[in-house]
Amino acid sequence: MLNWFKRRREEKSSYETNEEWVKALSQPVDEQAVELLRSKLIKGLKPALYKYVDRELDQFVEDVAQDALLKILDNIDSFRGESKLLTWAMKIAVREGLTELRLKRYDDSSLEDFKHAEESGRDELTSLTFASDTPDPEQATHEQLALQKVLKIINEELTEKQKRAMNALMIQGLSITVVADQMDTNRNALYKLVHDARLKIKDRLEVEGISPGDLFNRM
Amino acid sequence: MELTKKILEKLIQAVSKTHPNEIGCDDCFDQLDTFAQMKLEGKSPEEAMPLVEDHLKRCGDCREEYEALLEALKSVS
Repeated sequence: MLNWFKRRREEKSSYETNEEWVKALSQPVDEQAVELLRSKLIKGLKPALYKYVDRELDQFVEDVAQDALLKILDNIDSFRGESKLLTWAMKIAVREGLTELRLKRYDDSSLEDFKHAEESGRDELTSLTFASDTPDPEQATHEQLALQKVLKIINEELTEKQKRAMNALMIQGLSITVVADQMDTNRNALYKLVHDARLKIKDRLEVEGISPGDLFNRM
Repeated sequence: MELTKKILEKLIQAVSKTHPNEIGCDDCFDQLDTFAQMKLEGKSPEEAMPLVEDHLKRCGDCREEYEALLEALKSVS
């Protein structure tokens, strides 16, 4: 009996291949594999996240690893084996950790502009002004005209949602994770929304005979 | 709100480099583990997976996740 336990323990002490990992993380779950994966996630997350976490790194990383493990176990069927299982699992854990940090940092920040911009109208792109620092009056005029042209197109072609998203992401430089959360959408949908907006602006500039590349090169 | 020249440049550059065939954050995330693994194996994921490379240049959050993933994987390899 003792030998059987010893043998069983030895057999399950390492998981070299993706097949072994997938089998161990599928129902019925091998707890030893889960613990091994947890320890690897924690080991990887610490150096990956330490610069974003100002205190209690160990506790934060353990919580992230736990949340990530639940997602990994729930989604083990979707693992296609195109990378090592640990690489795939770490990808999920890193996103879990950074998403939480981004949302927390935004909640803790005093960036009230975006949170209440909708009610106050402060995210209006039309209200943007531009102060050129170039001593060359011709160049300053070009920059001013470029801004006016782009703003005119933005206001004529884009939906209110697109304007709001572009302002938050490109003018205020907020994280797409944060903006998606604030706009009750997801990152992918928000990226597509802004991609469509960029395409509209580009197409309209080209219809008006203006090359966006030239406009940039003259800046 | 006052726009700086840097932001205006960024805006116009983003517009000028826009392509119809960009991938979104979900497609990038799907392929990020393969991309990172190739990078760590000394292969050229930038050439093999140009749409992922393109997305990582455009999307700050996805790029941040990719860089953190590389750091994490280096410490467990």
